Amino acid sequence: MAGGPHWREQPAGGDTVTAAQQRSEAFWERIEAQLAETDPDIAIDRDAFYSQPEWDVFQMRYTSAGGHRLFAWLSVPHGDGPFPALIRMPDYASVHDIIYTPLRHQAVVMNATHRGQRNSDEQVRASYPGLLTDGIESSDTYTLFGAYADALRAMDVLTMQSVATVGTVALMGAGLGASLALAAAARRPHISAVAADTPLALGHPTALEPGLGYPLGELADYLRMYPETRDAVEERLSVVNPLNTASGVRCPVLMSAGRFDRSVCPLDFAEELAGALTECDFRVYDGAAEGGGHLHGQVRGAWLAARLGLEIS
Amino acid sequence: MATQADLETFVTQVTCPDDFDRFWQEVRSELDGIPLEATCEADTLRSTDTATVYQARYRSLGGLEIFAWYAVPTQGTGPFPAILHLPGYKSEPALRRDWGAKGVAVLSVAVRGKLPSSGDFNPGYPGLLTTGVEDRDAYSYKGVISDCVRGVDFLLSRTEIDRDRIYCCGSSQGGGLTLITSALRPEIKAGVAGYPFLCCFPESMRMLRSYPYDELSCYQRAHPERTEQMLETLRYFDAVNFAPRIECPMVVGIAMEDEVCPPETSYAAYRLLGGERELWLFPESGHGNAHEYPARERSWLEDRIGVSNPQAATP
Repeated sequence: MAGGPHWREQPAGGDTVTAAQQRSEAFWERIEAQLAETDPDIAIDRDAFYSQPEWDVFQMRYTSAGGHRLFAWLSVPHGDGPFPALIRMPDYASVHDIIYTPLRHQAVVMNATHRGQRNSDEQVRASYPGLLTDGIESSDTYTLFGAYADALRAMDVLTMQSVATVGTVALMGAGLGASLALAAAARRPHISAVAADTPLALGHPTALEPGLGYPLGELADYLRMYPETRDAVEERLSVVNPLNTASGVRCPVLMSAGRFDRSVCPLDFAEELAGALTECDFRVYDGAAEGGGHLHGQVRGAWLAARLGLEIS
Repeated sequence: MATQADLETFVTQVTCPDDFDRFWQEVRSELDGIPLEATCEADTLRSTDTATVYQARYRSLGGLEIFAWYAVPTQGTGPFPAILHLPGYKSEPALRRDWGAKGVAVLSVAVRGKLPSSGDFNPGYPGLLTTGVEDRDAYSYKGVISDCVRGVDFLLSRTEIDRDRIYCCGSSQGGGLTLITSALRPEIKAGVAGYPFLCCFPESMRMLRSYPYDELSCYQRAHPERTEQMLETLRYFDAVNFAPRIECPMVVGIAMEDEVCPPETSYAAYRLLGGERELWLFPESGHGNAHEYPARERSWLEDRIGVSNPQAATP
């Protein structure tokens, strides 16, 4: 199920396939191989308590790379499918709960978690702050790399589950969730749209600058204590630099950023990323890590509805 | 979007139980009987030039161990003014070491149910808001509020803290808990409650379909026969019943497009505040995302604390 090219095309006469991009491709191929050999073992149960008059809510469990058992909330509108679907990728937080959206009336909505988050923490429990540096000493132990595998697995199990027939699929996310959404869309060409708010700059050199707030500030904490690891950390994280996979995202992207963001998606990084995406509607707001806040929420809702062929009241 | 007229005309049906004060006095008495057993372990990874960060722990209702981030200024010996920072419903407790440079200590509490205070009580999110809601003595928020109350006890136990300059703030659930804790702890000298949750439960669960209030609607749908008892319990935990008991200066910040905590319900709490009060309205903002809110909260607290001379002798 791997997607098309994962980095920018080489310009004529140039050699822009950098070592970082090669490492990135190797990283993704390894993840795909791990997923391919892992039985997703999907279990899905209707949750009568949280089901609504207009849609059913399900608790979904499945297995990702490394045997991590993951949890997701899934809502399915009443009626016959196929339904368009929206996957909300998890942000940097222990909880990824059932967020209300008017789209739940007409679309399947999946709130996927990654390893370490609540209900997906049998093997590893993330800490906050801590997630961005947990196991960073090695690519084999870095918890957050597993989150990228978990994002791919979420998309795959959505199409494999048995309670709803799914049509068009869009992704959304904020912060870490936005970066996961963009990376995942680059690997799965059937994704039709991505709404990415303030994508986490993890993997980009900007993320290692001193003086950033959490979550990126975790990296500065780590480098202050272990300065001798800086080059290794920078190289290790570069495989998830969103710029490496941006050109592989072939669907339309709605992206937002806050002009004063110094903790999640610094503006310079956001502008560079937006420029690297094939089709990006980039909105900048006078905010910080909250990005466009309520105003952008309105824009995003309408944009996603249009991409999914829905009407929102 | 709510209008100013919506705020003014809204009238809550929430009334205060006759034994409200006795109930909370009994909770305080119960807490007084539990040894605080406060500990602080320095966290060198999280500490900076301006703030030494500790992983703090103390005992609260039921003997549960509560975790908190405790950031203490590195410059000076104190006593330092302190801010009790209270958390949102599902968010992590904020590590506010930024105040260290201003000579202000911050205790940021992970109330029960939150990592890493979830060892013995872990109802989940969603789940917390309805856990034990049939009985005021079993209700989750009796413990959650106690954990905030004990945060004040923690600060009072510290020799480096100026016990006459303790302040409180938080947003969403943290805003509601700021109101409630300030009513229960007169040691708090001023507070800022942003987008307060826990206000006017019956109306909030009817006005919106978003979580966490929708948890209560789910409960009502699943257990219609228990609805009356649920609403009776919630009267003891509704911030509008605490508001008249707050004597210190208090700000309430309201986003007029708030899709999680109805603006009318926050305003109902504001209107009932017993002491000096200030209202911040954010017309084009939703829950927790008014661009100017963080700077405004900081500026207001700096003025109250007097950060130009943070170690000044208390008058």
